[in-house]
Amino acid sequence: MRSVDRLCLAHFRVAFAAFLVAAILGTWQMWVRSPLGASVGDPDIYFLSVTAHGASMAYVLTTFFIMGFGYFVAETSLGRALPGRAWAWLGFWIALIGTLMAVATILSGRASVLYTFYPPMTANAFFYIGLVLVVVGSWVWCVLMIVAMTQWKGENPGAAVPLAMYGTVANAILWLWTTVGVAAELLFQVIPAALSWVQTIDAGLARTLFSWTLHAIVYFWLLPAYIAFYTMVPRAAGGRLYSDTMGRLTFILFLIYSLPVGMHHLFMDPEHGNAFKFIQMLLTAFVAVPTLLTIFTISASMEVAGRLRGGRGLFGWIGALPWDRPMVLAAGLSFVMLGFGGGGGLVNMSYGMNAMIHNTAWVTAHFHLIFGGTVVIMYFAIAYEIWPRLIAREYASVAPLRRQLWLWFIGMMVMTLPWHWLGLQGQWRRVANFNYADPIIASWGPWVTVSFVGGLMLLISALLFARNLFALHQSAIAGGQGPFYALAIHPPKRVPAALNGFGLWNVLVAVLMLAAYGYPIAQFIVAPSPSAMVHRVE
Amino acid sequence: MAESNALDQPWRIWASVAVVTILLTGVLLGAIIVPIVQGRGAGLDAYTAICRALGLLPGSPAQVQPQDRTPPSPVSQVSWTPAILKVLAGGDVERGRAKVMEVCVACHGEQGVSPTPAVPHLNGQSAAAIYKQLHDYRTGSRVNEQMTGIAQALDESVIADVAVYFAGQRKRNPNPASLGALPSEIVDLVVHGDTVRGLPPCAGCHRTGSGGPIETPILSEQGDDYLVQQLQLFASDKRRNDVYGRMRSISARLSPEEIKGLAAYYRAGFR
Repeated sequence: MRSVDRLCLAHFRVAFAAFLVAAILGTWQMWVRSPLGASVGDPDIYFLSVTAHGASMAYVLTTFFIMGFGYFVAETSLGRALPGRAWAWLGFWIALIGTLMAVATILSGRASVLYTFYPPMTANAFFYIGLVLVVVGSWVWCVLMIVAMTQWKGENPGAAVPLAMYGTVANAILWLWTTVGVAAELLFQVIPAALSWVQTIDAGLARTLFSWTLHAIVYFWLLPAYIAFYTMVPRAAGGRLYSDTMGRLTFILFLIYSLPVGMHHLFMDPEHGNAFKFIQMLLTAFVAVPTLLTIFTISASMEVAGRLRGGRGLFGWIGALPWDRPMVLAAGLSFVMLGFGGGGGLVNMSYGMNAMIHNTAWVTAHFHLIFGGTVVIMYFAIAYEIWPRLIAREYASVAPLRRQLWLWFIGMMVMTLPWHWLGLQGQWRRVANFNYADPIIASWGPWVTVSFVGGLMLLISALLFARNLFALHQSAIAGGQGPFYALAIHPPKRVPAALNGFGLWNVLVAVLMLAAYGYPIAQFIVAPSPSAMVHRVE
Repeated sequence: MAESNALDQPWRIWASVAVVTILLTGVLLGAIIVPIVQGRGAGLDAYTAICRALGLLPGSPAQVQPQDRTPPSPVSQVSWTPAILKVLAGGDVERGRAKVMEVCVACHGEQGVSPTPAVPHLNGQSAAAIYKQLHDYRTGSRVNEQMTGIAQALDESVIADVAVYFAGQRKRNPNPASLGALPSEIVDLVVHGDTVRGLPPCAGCHRTGSGGPIETPILSEQGDDYLVQQLQLFASDKRRNDVYGRMRSISARLSPEEIKGLAAYYRAGFR
């Protein structure tokens, strides 16, 4: 086993261990919210559980998975040893210690603030310091990704950076930009408040800084799925990538348009003028562009594969695709969930329509479908694809893998579609329990119960995922070799510097961020508003 | 090098043009056209509407604001500003003890343990809660025959001294087991509330670390006569210094048995 394999495995194990625990907690939460488990457990326990579930899924699963995947891509796509391996291990341990600190604080009941950082409510400082350490660990990863690409470009002057690595570095740069907002909020506002150094906190500024991070972080989680769409799915389907340039443009557009848009989470907030909300709404709409480019490019790539396999006619190529391969199946299911989730997202980002679903169950349903569905199913597919290479084993059969993916897809649809409907009915989010004796709430009961059944299916699928990887470790079949990344139909020989690096795009991000967030943040410093009392929840 | 520059220059130019065009479109629509059009409907001139849209002036460009020009009549004059918190933080326990011995001791006891059932215990009470109530007595937001006169004679810093003195006195920790069993409906009301009647759980605010308003009093070990009396005063609208009428609306929906049960719950030292 190469040392980078051990590094990837360590990251993946932490990521998926957190995922399993969080899946169990999530199902329990669905149960106590439903008429079947109403009035079970204290609200304290519920909010503790939501905090643990959210922090594990959103911060631990994602960050560790993305780091592990990035190290794998850096070594395999560039075909050279990962630079600074000792630093990578240091980053891993920093992030792991941070995770354990946060977990201990949550379990002690001193951090039941959910996993978002909305002062004046503050948790114990250890919770925040732990999460800052997770971010610091991920910064080490960002630097290593940039160094790996820069060194490779030095050794291969004029050559096009492999697309998988280009996407990974785009994500690393996106993450560096993204974390500036929350890091500023935590270091200058929340942690001093949690440590009792200050008694008041500017909630408007804190919410604004958190919004800086809040949307871009979602694209940080999403990009590995897109990297897989462009660089792994076409090969798995037996074809080629339709356009390498489209892939580069997609990653660039995500970098540009996922940052100056976070204020669409603050449409109902009073601390910003309508003009800035409008500008950020318009910029949010442009996030749809890279997604549409991807749907076009990947569908075209799949068509190429389907026709190579003998598919004929307008739609015949779809049936000819090798749906029995987990990566192809996951991509197809992911696209379906992306269609529903993306449609819901357009409602969220529209200034007017947002008003009808703001802070309702619609929002929770949306991010479960788009993150838990579209993104996490691709995490499974990536793990299924990479794991055999890390331990040089092969699956005895991929049928259990397919079953797990199908179950995840069906469970996610069954859970989130009624949940969206409940949001439209006005069901509020962030509430520990519902009194089903109330006639209006009682009418929600059947939908919540169906949603819970979806949750149970997801739990079974999560356990099946662990079982499949366990079975791979037990497998006696050696394997895990062969080509991995898809080739483009026209492999890039020379690409413009703009599509082979990030200098220009960083400048444009800076311009957009200055326009979108410059005055909205400066106003709190130029004319400070009355601060709120810190509420310590411990 | 020259070749790659020639390849790259159009990208630099056109990408920048595209991004800046999108940005300017947003600015033109969001900061100029939409506010001017909306402002017309609300009877605002273009300049005011644009300034409101940018957040330079308060209010929305789409509505006449404020809607109501009658001056507000707050139920309490206490606002938790950093300056007030500083006064509270600067409270001196020794000065507070001296004032307590001089004024409060007769009814509230030396350590805040009241010998009279209708007078609240103040030992271990939150300093912010004591401060708010004394301040409210002083400004007339809360009225009581004895307390109004006493509080009017105290200035802000003395109120803070007394508050931190009582806050520092220990709870007595009665043995809940000795106080008899509590009906499960009462425990349920404290922990879950009752959504049918729109009653939030008491523990939503009256529990350490619940995240309720800072002035929320600690009810644990409070005398039940006093608690019953105050809930009745809130219910009958005779006491009205609760911000947003929270306690008035809650108390009015409680039955007399529930009021008694809740008072017994808190007297027993539960939180």
